[in-house]
Amino acid sequence: MPSYVNPEKCDGCKALDKTACQYICPNDLMVLDKEKMKAYNRDVSMCWECYNCVKICPTQAIEIRGYADFVPLGASVTPLRSTDSIMWTVKFRNGTLKRFKFPIRTTEEGKAVPDGGFETKASLDSPELFTEPASSGLPAIFALKGVANA
Amino acid sequence: MAACGAAVEAAYWAKQQGLKVTLVDKAAVDRSGAVAMGLSAINQYVGLKDGANTVKDYVDYVRSDLMGITREDLVANIARHVDSTVHLFEKWGLPIWKDEQGNYVHEGRWQLMINGESYKVVVAEAAKNALLQSGVGEIFERVFIVGPLMDGERCAGAVGFSVRENKFYVFKAKATLVAMGGAVHVFKPRSSGEGMGRAWYPPWNSGSSAYFTIRAGAEMTCQEVRFIPVRFKDAYGPVGAWFLLFKSRATNSEGGDYMVQRRPELGNWGPYGRVKPVPANLRNYLGMLDVMDGKGPIYMRTEEALGKIADTYKDDPKAYKKKMKELESEAWEDFLDMTISQAILWASTNLQPEDKGSEIAAAEPYFIGSHSGASGAWVSGPADLQTKETAPDYFWGYANMSTVEGLFCAGDASGASSHKFSSGSHAEGRIAAKAALKFIVENNSLPAVDAATIESLKAEILRPLENYEQHKNATTDPEINPNYLKPRMFMFRLQKIMDEYAGGITSQFKTNGPLLTKALELLAFLREDSQKLAAADLHELMRCWENTHRMWQAEAHVRTMLFREETRWPGYYFRADKPALDEEKWHVFANCRFDPQADAWEMRTRPMKHVFPQPQEHEMLGG
Repeated sequence: MPSYVNPEKCDGCKALDKTACQYICPNDLMVLDKEKMKAYNRDVSMCWECYNCVKICPTQAIEIRGYADFVPLGASVTPLRSTDSIMWTVKFRNGTLKRFKFPIRTTEEGKAVPDGGFETKASLDSPELFTEPASSGLPAIFALKGVANA
Repeated sequence: MAACGAAVEAAYWAKQQGLKVTLVDKAAVDRSGAVAMGLSAINQYVGLKDGANTVKDYVDYVRSDLMGITREDLVANIARHVDSTVHLFEKWGLPIWKDEQGNYVHEGRWQLMINGESYKVVVAEAAKNALLQSGVGEIFERVFIVGPLMDGERCAGAVGFSVRENKFYVFKAKATLVAMGGAVHVFKPRSSGEGMGRAWYPPWNSGSSAYFTIRAGAEMTCQEVRFIPVRFKDAYGPVGAWFLLFKSRATNSEGGDYMVQRRPELGNWGPYGRVKPVPANLRNYLGMLDVMDGKGPIYMRTEEALGKIADTYKDDPKAYKKKMKELESEAWEDFLDMTISQAILWASTNLQPEDKGSEIAAAEPYFIGSHSGASGAWVSGPADLQTKETAPDYFWGYANMSTVEGLFCAGDASGASSHKFSSGSHAEGRIAAKAALKFIVENNSLPAVDAATIESLKAEILRPLENYEQHKNATTDPEINPNYLKPRMFMFRLQKIMDEYAGGITSQFKTNGPLLTKALELLAFLREDSQKLAAADLHELMRCWENTHRMWQAEAHVRTMLFREETRWPGYYFRADKPALDEEKWHVFANCRFDPQADAWEMRTRPMKHVFPQPQEHEMLGG
């Protein structure tokens, strides 16, 4: 099944022009049943269990049931992703619970500055790229020495 | 990653030169491509600023790992820019692990540990900001690029369709950069039920880069150099942290360590068997020999590795407890960042790594030139990393331009430059984008494409919808129809051919000349039947073209394995009729090209030349 949708919680993202899960699924698997106004995974055997639909769902309606052809039933792995960290709850088949929290980014969402504050000293003809050599941490980019250039 | 690198770089130079940049993605840029789920490590960081390694060190490592066949100019070019890419990632907000002195925490010599759940989100954000804030860029999401638009011998852009609305797209461009990933599901995967989607590399990377470049008439290289990752069995969780960070061993059913017991076998593989670290394919091969001898299962000895680390704290119970907690968190994050399925598999089998080992296995073959495979287009190196000897063969005007004018490649799209991984792919995207902008400035004319060409491409691309509409009422079940073939069964047919004849899992990665010839015979029927693919909707139309892309990748692969009459990467595939290395004849690149006019393949070799002085034997041993 990989990702599945809890009908009690899914509201079909009715406030949006398309559902969040539909927007994010890298494999174009999540679709909205417009009659029921509920989302579903249209091809579970092509699901990578990447959890992007689970993480993005505004009503936490999407969960993962491990691939039935090799995963015993009863376990779950559930994320709660905020703007700077992610909390994971791992529930074992035997009931054991583990919780982990990891940072996900060090800058404010949306604020990645393309040049990272590094100055560019390059021309279209030089080997340096945008932000180089500053971003390399060296005064110059590596060049061949002692080898006759063509 | 390569496309995001290209976007950041292109935006800067386009703004300076008054040009425009268009980025097209089959999904949402935030979570598309190979890094969509996240990653737990950055696998290429050279450490040039700290003097940790040199560019040449990296080149030596890659060439040895690829059994002597690599483009040193391409690898060196990526190696000299990749640190800058990693420093940018950090500024953009990617958390990279630091030690108490503030230095990056290494997983291995070239690998850095990260909190990488949002790796792609952060890198995509910089790419989007670069394109949109500069005012030079436009982004199209959910547009599936099918193939190239050509003006004679020059690439004139790309054609594709929206998977959201009935819209056919024609992108006309002065330069085109391909970074559409490698290929998954060309071979039958180990799991064929629900778990089919749990490939090691993502199922949405379906050979689009290879198809695009092949159909443009570009020369392709290393199409035989597939990659087979050995990973935790079934869920394909990463093993890098276990082998490198936790120093774990893998042992067979008798407790034997194939890396020790099978060591003499390495002597059969020329100078490459003597390098450290042992090349990835030879490590695979030693494990495969155990499995073929009936000595499975192979276990990663997680309990032993964690026990050994914790033991160093055994006299201090408080420190011991703290260390065990830290190790547990690191071990689980490794999966939760990039292969969550493996965490589910461990939890569902009540497996705790400190108590018990976990099975590893060789996965099915993948096409991924950015990792330890090497397949991709044959591209020009940079002008300034050539010698008089290499320049005539490796340089033709613009870095990362294929043999087709105006067509640039990066990441999995460019070949013979392995071990770039996520960070090196990003760096290579930057290199290729800058070169593409330079190409435009020096060749500033809009390619001409006539309306008839576009109409014929449109008819070809939308044909599966047409096939379906025309014939759907001929039977009572749309899935079975004598007039057409649905993409899913088409994929299974391809996978069966590749698995059984071209060295997949069920043939234990072994093939030979007659088997490969048979594969070509069956692939020819498949190519004819690709005209009869049928799609009920836009999603299926995408699946039709993804599988056509896979089929062309498959044919390039089979032809090149047939052409190279030796076995060079025994842990990737084994030519049973040519079971040994042939340094005299085959220390060369095996290249192929599809001639679109003649509708025929041409095979040729290209010389393996060195940019750097070759290491002496003792240097290779020292790693």
